[in-house]
Amino acid sequence: MKTIYEDLNKRFTMSGYKQQRDDLAFVTVDKDQLVNAITYLKDYHKFTHLAFVTAVDWLEENEFQITYLLHNYELKVDLGLKVRLDRDNPTMDTIHHLWKQARVYQRELHEMFGIDFPGSPGVNDPMILESWEGPPPMRRDFDTKKYSEETYDHRERQHIEPEDHLRKQLYPED
Amino acid sequence: MNLKDVLSPLYVWKRAFEKPYTIRTEKEPRPGADRYRGFHQNDTEKCIGCGSCAEICQNESIDMIPVSETKDGDSGLRPRIDYGRCCWCALCVDICPSSSLTMSNAYTWIEEGLDKDTRETFCFTPGVDEKPWDNDEKGYRRPDGYDLSLLERVEMEELSPAERVTSFIEMVKGFSKEQAKREADRCIECGICTATCPGHMDIPGYIRAIREDDIEKGIEILYKTNPLPGVCGRICTRRCEDVCSLSLRGEAVSIRWLKRYLTDSAEAGKYRDLLHDEVVSSGKKVAIVGTGPGGLSAAYYLLRMGHEVEIFEQNEAAGGMLRYGIPEYRLPYGSLDNDINFIIELGAKLHLNTKVGKDISFDKLYKEFDAIFTSVGLTDSYKIGIEGEELPGVTTGLTVLKAVTMGQDPKLGDHIVVIGGGNVAMDAARTARHLGVDVTVVYRRRLEDMPADSDEIKEAIEENVEFITQGIPLKIEEGANGKLNFIWGKAEMVDNGSGKRPSPVLIEGSREVMEVTKVIAAIGQGANYGWLEGETTKQVKLGKRNIEADRWGKTDDPKIYVGGDMFNKTADAISAIADGHRSARAIDSYLAGEEYPKDRF
Ligand SMILES: Cc1cc2nc3c(=O)[nH]c(=O)nc-3n(C[C@H](O)[C@H](O)[C@H](O)COP(=O)(O)OP(=O)(O)OC[C@H]3O[C@@H](n4cnc5c(N)ncnc54)[C@H](O)[C@@H]3O)c2cc1C
Ligand code: SF4
Ligand code: SF4
Repeated sequence: MKTIYEDLNKRFTMSGYKQQRDDLAFVTVDKDQLVNAITYLKDYHKFTHLAFVTAVDWLEENEFQITYLLHNYELKVDLGLKVRLDRDNPTMDTIHHLWKQARVYQRELHEMFGIDFPGSPGVNDPMILESWEGPPPMRRDFDTKKYSEETYDHRERQHIEPEDHLRKQLYPED
Repeated sequence: MNLKDVLSPLYVWKRAFEKPYTIRTEKEPRPGADRYRGFHQNDTEKCIGCGSCAEICQNESIDMIPVSETKDGDSGLRPRIDYGRCCWCALCVDICPSSSLTMSNAYTWIEEGLDKDTRETFCFTPGVDEKPWDNDEKGYRRPDGYDLSLLERVEMEELSPAERVTSFIEMVKGFSKEQAKREADRCIECGICTATCPGHMDIPGYIRAIREDDIEKGIEILYKTNPLPGVCGRICTRRCEDVCSLSLRGEAVSIRWLKRYLTDSAEAGKYRDLLHDEVVSSGKKVAIVGTGPGGLSAAYYLLRMGHEVEIFEQNEAAGGMLRYGIPEYRLPYGSLDNDINFIIELGAKLHLNTKVGKDISFDKLYKEFDAIFTSVGLTDSYKIGIEGEELPGVTTGLTVLKAVTMGQDPKLGDHIVVIGGGNVAMDAARTARHLGVDVTVVYRRRLEDMPADSDEIKEAIEENVEFITQGIPLKIEEGANGKLNFIWGKAEMVDNGSGKRPSPVLIEGSREVMEVTKVIAAIGQGANYGWLEGETTKQVKLGKRNIEADRWGKTDDPKIYVGGDMFNKTADAISAIADGHRSARAIDSYLAGEEYPKDRF
């Protein structure tokens, strides 16, 4: 792993390498170099499998992070590449030309976080949120309760507070 | 086209005769995994309706609805679950203090008739509305050893028994800030305690204040329902702890010690600033007879409501049984004085050494004041009812305790016998031990029948008080060297049928003699109605057990109110305090020309 990283580090601008287990490491790559770095790993280091693409909302830092997890079948190791995006203008280059299934991940990230991947086929189509009108729901500033209260009908609650009930029953005069 | 292409349709036909792989789901749903989280089950007998499940549910899936009768420690409400909201997280099962709530592994529920109002569908009250999965064994239960609640108390440091008996220093040391916050963290805020507390103190509220380290807010909450929190933080009978929902599986929150922590942490002089709301004077005057917790509590609330208050007390200091009954090692005089002084400083006029019915007549109070609240307690000790009781060496628990409070030597000698099994007996016995006297307690029934607080019994045993149970006093005789011969007999417990407690019956011919220096009777106290004289008390009626009055303590004369031990059944400090608070509110309404208080506590 370490040698692969050292080779990568010579070619691309990287930071924060972390070996989490013998067979798992993460590293942050410059946004502009991400696609090149992945292509290089796929073609030269046999990371032929894209395990997943996922995102984290670093609200306080006003950034999104996308993580691409790649797998090497020969060495049986995983390498995660992380990239940070400006939260106000969340756009990332697509990698669907490297792995077809990346379309699905990118479509999902677009739906859930509002991150755009221009050129990724069908990226604007909804996956599960048909006729959704609110902001992307996985963003941390999305207020689930507020949204559901404003959007849906609710059954009336019939809840009674045990403390009040008990007191009223036991001491009706108080 | 090759041969295989021609034959393959036939291969498919072969399958037509095999068992199909398809499972018909409506008829035979695949069973859930053994620990699958399916529809809820609730053992409604075990459930106490605390609402912790409803509180923790992140989806507001649970409503508490009235199902059964409300009793002490059980709200009678039971959880109703809305499966339009439930996400099967099982937090409700994990928090449930009674372990009554579980989940079956059933996950299919076919609701007939979807033309029904959707708000009626897919909701049910487990254990109440019958469902096919009610008795399923499989499903999710909280795993052993896994708990969201902290079941063990933060230990309270105490003096050792050997250290205790050498002085009257307070035996319980009190919590540090860290200990208090840790103990406060255990409360799950169900509020069962608040309803059960006779004074309805906002217990979860002040515990939250401790957790947030906001002592001032805590003190403010305490005084809303209890103006003697330093006292109650030490000696309260704590019925709240008996019903604490954590006690179902672990130890109750140390509510009493947390209250004490709050009062110990606030500076005495600061109370006045803390509770500083403007009081508008009503121009009315109320007389209070007795300075026990009932009288003091009424005084505090009446003062805060703007009435002028004068208190009459026959003793030379205020406090009633808190001062002259409860020993110093349980309630130091300094702590008592802190609470009392604050009330007096609010402007109450205190007349000590003034016995109503002797030094001042009730008629005079009646004429000079707009209302009277009486809480004179139970002062007359019951007689044992045996021969020799009038001998000079025979006295009562109250007499001994009062003498010790007043700094007098009760002259107990070296070995006394205390008769009785209640708190007064324990206090008298332990006080004697602290004075270096050997003590034997004689009680008619078994140890487990004793009405005294179990902690008191345990501590008495630790301090080497000797217990004789099933012992019946027979006679007291004068013995040698000014001593007494206390004669008693062994009893056997006779069954009185189910539901009734067995009674002690003297074994024929059993007779034991014990040589003692004093015999102390502590078998209970009754009221003294000496003050109830004159023409103005005619409307006040004596009932079988006490003076007749309604729940507000109002007698048939709306100017006269009663409370405390002489009135309530529970006879403890917090009940007297609650009575004082209640009557103060009733008096306030009466003085304003209204029938009954409009608001609740
Ligand atoms: C030994 C002992 C231990 C106890 N331990 C506990 C305990 O651990 N926890 C607990 O909660 N409770 C305890 N109690 C009970 C508790 O003290 C009482 O429930 C409480 O004090 C009752 O308050 P009260 O206002 O009714 O009257 P009391 O406290 O009895 O006070 C009545 C006051 O009225 C005065 N008085 C009477 N007659 C007159 C008159 N004619 N004129 C003027 N003044 C008069 C008396 O001198 C007295 O000061 C204990 C009681 C005793 C005796
Ligand atoms: S938490 Fe348990 S005991 Fe409390 S109401 Fe819910 S089911 Fe009943
Ligand atoms: S399982 Fe979870 S969501 Fe469902 S009622 Fe219980 S706490 Fe609420």
